[in-house]
Amino acid sequence: MRGDADAMTTTQPRRSRRTEILENRPVNLDGFVEEWPEKGLVAMDSDYDPAPSVRVENGRIVELDGTTRDQFDFMDTFIADHAIDVASAERANAIPSEEIARMLIDTHVSRNEVLAVTRGLTPAKILDVVELMNVVEIMQGMQKMRARRTPANQGHSTSARDNPIQVAADAAEGAMRGFAELETTLGVVRYAPLVAIALQVGAQVGRGGVLTQCALEEATELELGMRGITAYAETISVYGTEPVFVDGDDTPWSKAFLASAYASRGIKMRFTSGTGSEVQMGNAEGKSMLYLEIRCILMAKGAGVQGLQNGSISCIGVPGAVPGGIRAVAAENLVASMVDLECASGNDQSFSHSAMRRTARLMPQLLPGTDFVCSGYSGVPNADNMFAGSNFDTEDYDDWNTIQRDLQVDGGLRHVREAEILQVRNKAARALQALFSHLDLPPITDEEVEAATYADSSNDYPLRDVLADLKGAQAVMDRGITGLDLVRGLEATGFHDVAENLLAVLRQRVSGDLLQTSAVLTAELTPLSAINDPNDYQGPGTGYRLQGERWEQLKKLRHVTSATDPETEVG
Amino acid sequence: MGTPTTSPAPERTVRLRELGPARRGSRPDEVVIAVSPAFADFFTKTIVDVPHAEVLRQLLAGIEEQGVTARIVRVRDTADLAAIAHTAAQLSGSGIAVGVLARGTTMIHQKDLPRLSNLELFPQSPLLDAQVFRRIGSNAAQYAKGESPEPVPTRNDQMARPRWQAKAALLHLKEVECIEAGRDPVEVEPAFELSRAG
Amino acid sequence: MPDRARLVVGVDIGNSTTEACLAAVAPDRTVSYLGTDLTRTTGVKGTPDNTDGVLTAVRGALRRAGRAAAELDAVLLNEATPVISGLAMETITETIITESTMIGHNPATPGGQGLGVGTTVSLTELDEIDPGPPVVCVVPHGWDFEDIASTVNAAVGRGVDVVAAVLAGDDAVLVANRLTRPVPVVDEVAAVEKVPLGMLAAVEVAAAGYTIRTLSNTYGLATVFGLDPDQTRHVSPVARALTGNRSAVVVRTPSGDVTDRRIPVGTLELRGSGKTLRVDLATGAEEIMDAVARAQPLEDAHGEPGTHVGGMLAQVRDTMADVVGQDGEEAGSPVEIAINDVLAVDTFVPAEVRGGLAGEMHLENAVALAAMVSTSRSRMRSVAERVAEELGVATLIGGVEGKMAVRGALTTPGVDRPVAVLDLGGGSTDAAELDREGRDTAVHVAGAGELVTKLIDSELALDDREVAENIKRSPLAKVESFFHVRHEDGTVQFFDEPLPSHVFARVVTLAPEGPTPIPTRHGLDHVRQIRREAKRRVFVVNAVRALRQVAAGGNLRTLDFVVLLGGSALDFEIPEMIADALAGYGIVCGTGNVLGTEGPRNAVASGLVAAHAAAAP
Repeated sequence: MRGDADAMTTTQPRRSRRTEILENRPVNLDGFVEEWPEKGLVAMDSDYDPAPSVRVENGRIVELDGTTRDQFDFMDTFIADHAIDVASAERANAIPSEEIARMLIDTHVSRNEVLAVTRGLTPAKILDVVELMNVVEIMQGMQKMRARRTPANQGHSTSARDNPIQVAADAAEGAMRGFAELETTLGVVRYAPLVAIALQVGAQVGRGGVLTQCALEEATELELGMRGITAYAETISVYGTEPVFVDGDDTPWSKAFLASAYASRGIKMRFTSGTGSEVQMGNAEGKSMLYLEIRCILMAKGAGVQGLQNGSISCIGVPGAVPGGIRAVAAENLVASMVDLECASGNDQSFSHSAMRRTARLMPQLLPGTDFVCSGYSGVPNADNMFAGSNFDTEDYDDWNTIQRDLQVDGGLRHVREAEILQVRNKAARALQALFSHLDLPPITDEEVEAATYADSSNDYPLRDVLADLKGAQAVMDRGITGLDLVRGLEATGFHDVAENLLAVLRQRVSGDLLQTSAVLTAELTPLSAINDPNDYQGPGTGYRLQGERWEQLKKLRHVTSATDPETEVG
Repeated sequence: MGTPTTSPAPERTVRLRELGPARRGSRPDEVVIAVSPAFADFFTKTIVDVPHAEVLRQLLAGIEEQGVTARIVRVRDTADLAAIAHTAAQLSGSGIAVGVLARGTTMIHQKDLPRLSNLELFPQSPLLDAQVFRRIGSNAAQYAKGESPEPVPTRNDQMARPRWQAKAALLHLKEVECIEAGRDPVEVEPAFELSRAG
Repeated sequence: MPDRARLVVGVDIGNSTTEACLAAVAPDRTVSYLGTDLTRTTGVKGTPDNTDGVLTAVRGALRRAGRAAAELDAVLLNEATPVISGLAMETITETIITESTMIGHNPATPGGQGLGVGTTVSLTELDEIDPGPPVVCVVPHGWDFEDIASTVNAAVGRGVDVVAAVLAGDDAVLVANRLTRPVPVVDEVAAVEKVPLGMLAAVEVAAAGYTIRTLSNTYGLATVFGLDPDQTRHVSPVARALTGNRSAVVVRTPSGDVTDRRIPVGTLELRGSGKTLRVDLATGAEEIMDAVARAQPLEDAHGEPGTHVGGMLAQVRDTMADVVGQDGEEAGSPVEIAINDVLAVDTFVPAEVRGGLAGEMHLENAVALAAMVSTSRSRMRSVAERVAEELGVATLIGGVEGKMAVRGALTTPGVDRPVAVLDLGGGSTDAAELDREGRDTAVHVAGAGELVTKLIDSELALDDREVAENIKRSPLAKVESFFHVRHEDGTVQFFDEPLPSHVFARVVTLAPEGPTPIPTRHGLDHVRQIRREAKRRVFVVNAVRALRQVAAGGNLRTLDFVVLLGGSALDFEIPEMIADALAGYGIVCGTGNVLGTEGPRNAVASGLVAAHAAAAP
């Protein structure tokens, strides 16, 4: 061995040209790790998950998945006492897992028949069932078990500068493109009241009946909801192990209490959970990601909320890095649906550098359809996405629409012509301008309205007077402005139709119809939920079919050559 | 002009020699650096391959440049960054400490703060490079002097999730494996070595 | 003559609050005050949107007094004189360094100490040069401190006379600590690659707590570089620019220079008392205010078109036109709007020095201008009509605000005529006087709270109006530990609960909501001095200026009592600053306490009632 080889003769091992090309593919910027099941760094199919068992004595579950009641942690207690149907538990758990798995995809077994069994299952039993299913079977199960017959989508409308005008304009565009729910959050939290108002106004301009929410710390989120400035709540996180829960100063009961606070005002709400969060925090207690997520799902069920946002969500990098991780994510969506919860199924966080992987990760939700395929698709460029980026953003609109058209599936969006988009963006900005002026909030200039009409990102808007905005935001809270004040202001400033739309959303608080599972409001301002639009899929030719007027809508793209006059384009 | 002429770059390594039980310092002009159980032990570099030798050298340099002295301790019974940094703050004569995990996550702590609080936290380990560690050391020293340093800007990268989230979890699990329950913090002395690695 | 007491309510619509004062006026014109209320002003002051706020305040006052709207005999509104103010700031000097002759920034931690004079040599060439005359080592970016030290030590070992070093990174102490022969080291020179090589240079570092002595002294420079008297005259600006620094580098180049340049920023044209005066903004506040005084009463002011001053005055005009011209019948065109007052204040703006190698900042001179437009035309008539319609009560527009305020101020215990009020607002400072014979005068002058905020913001280089406002509003303290702060007066306060972590070791404002950190490296004393100086230059100057305009013959000694009103009268230090300034004129001055209960609030509303009672048939 030579000690002083000079640079000329230093030989690097020769590299394959092809390897170099592959090395430079975006997918190799993603991170992948080997499984470590003893520590819970495993998606599913772990030898360290408990075996299913249940024992009922005197109408009480005294043993759950190999643990007796005296050994229960608070998750076990909560699930045993509130989530599992005690009457059917022993019977349901005695059914072989293969049989239950087959029921999930058997077109001769109705959704209700499956629910009669699943309501008595323990977490480990549910895990045992879905572990038998490959990804196509999971999709088949989802197609039948999704609560609402008509699939939908949810969008994010945020701004890197917390600019309310941008949020309103992008909400209007998003609503028009088809999102049934729109969600926002903040960089500077104190901006929240203005941005939440902007989201609400923009949404009702884009399409009457779109539901909105603003993700904040729990107390403020609840207050905005109670005032009717927002229409639903989603960011109430639950976890699969006791230590992680305790780290967040919470228990299943405190979360259930919060849920009841929303219900008391007729406000739609769902919990949030996802695979990977426990192992990410180093407290997986040696259990697989999917097993812990099933505990979260049953916790949500036990708390009485109508739905759950899951699909790993902000921890998607963890299941995304282990073998079979995206199958587990699909399975957790299915489990939420098979215990009769609304499922807002993820696809909402930056997931991969590879466009191909981003798309593949979507298929298990897009193809069967879920209650909300994304639980939020970024309705702004990802650089403006204050939820730290979504799996899809505004640049992907045309790809998404094309995939829907190629596969004839309904992912909740549609192509909209530029002229219509400019019109709603402009109207949203003007409505917000008028409302702010009416409510004595910081003024919005005509220049800002013009910018909002044509903008892509927050960089395209004039800078706001942030200090004045923050004072205005505080004034909204101090003055006790409510959703009805927004209705009044919109009516007084000549935005009658927008006022009507918002009033219709607020009216739901009284009827309570949005508390039903998977409820959304249609463009006709009527609730659509698992009650009046139950999923009746039972094989080919049944259930939701993309056809008729909706299919005609989805056939439209930005550029489609006309068959009658091939020198022109239709649409 | 502009780049050092030395190539290949010298690779420094560090070994932490145990001196004995970590004691409370009395000098008001010291910052205590606390490293985690696997730092410069089971692991030799951060999640983005910054050598632990460089992490320590830059933290120490940042402190020295401010005219403040430093001691290094190893906390052995936990891999929780807040606990590590808080423990060290109790040992620090100035009450200021820097805690650092093997994967690079770093925190500046103060003895009177609740454990779960901090003065500055750098949670995104993949975004911490040598220069950031230098600035963290510098800021810790300035706090020790009673000055008001501008917080080190925290960076953010949306695509850190797909690339690093799982590896960070794995490194954390490994670090937890290195915990020696019930063992008190020890004072350590760094021995840096220079190797002209090719 | 009515045979029963009449129930009236005075309402003052202000920029931010609407205040009401309910009173019974007996047949003998004696007034019994029954209750007050205060609410947020709805809409822009002087526009029909104000109606809602008026109704809220009136109903609030009625409720507190237990009276019904039906019992009301009259609602009295103020004649709101909308005042729009505008602010602008222009930097009028610029410091330029040519040929990279000087590094005068103040790195927090230079290394070593003393003076080193030698020829500049790059570190990359240090191992090639032979022992000889002294050298100053210039270290490019990217070098590790240990490598720098070992390279220099090696050269010194060979006999090279390295007398100083200039570094790009923040490594001076680290390098100095590792040198076998200590020399002064200046670091954080960001553009180190621009330091001329092969030139004679001097590097000086003073001990901690001291400032440099040689390079900041013109003769010191002359000695170091062997300059003749002519050349010495030439380097004098360099020495001055380095004064107060702890470290510095000066390189001698053929025509290197530091210049202090005046920037042309346009002229201000003032019209009044039959003449038109032009004053160059760059001459500073004193000249401008002299011109303003000579043009009193000011009829209008214009800025040179195409300059910042011109743009700002035009904008003030436009805003005013919007306010008075929203109703068709009162449409005013911008030309008719005249600027009635201008306040110029000398200030400084920290700016990066052009040609500087280390991002040196220099305090450049600047002039801040506040301009003000007032008009008698407002749309109070339509507000009055709407209030009358809603309440079914006669609604009258009473007198001019200032004149009403002075009557309200008279209800402050211990006050008598002749009395003047000072209303310290956001955009303007207003004064009014009522003499022994009951004659009254009122004026508005430009410049108030907003200008103070702007001065604080720019002089501290905060670029954050919210922080500047916090500084203006609350006293300062330094958080010395989690359990105690040292207030700006030196006293210490202890806390049982730890303070939040984000305020640790910071200079904070002690707002009612809790301590708020100021993102600055300046010490508490510096921030405090800037705050007080800004308030003095605006409020004290304006108090005197405004009172002169209302005092008989412009003589302040004719005033007996001055009552401070408005939001800034609640400031923790402005009232005493003004009182101190007026004490020399034998004036009694203090914050008002309207009706003996309302503090500096409700003066206009109470005054409306008083004036109404006095004028009643």
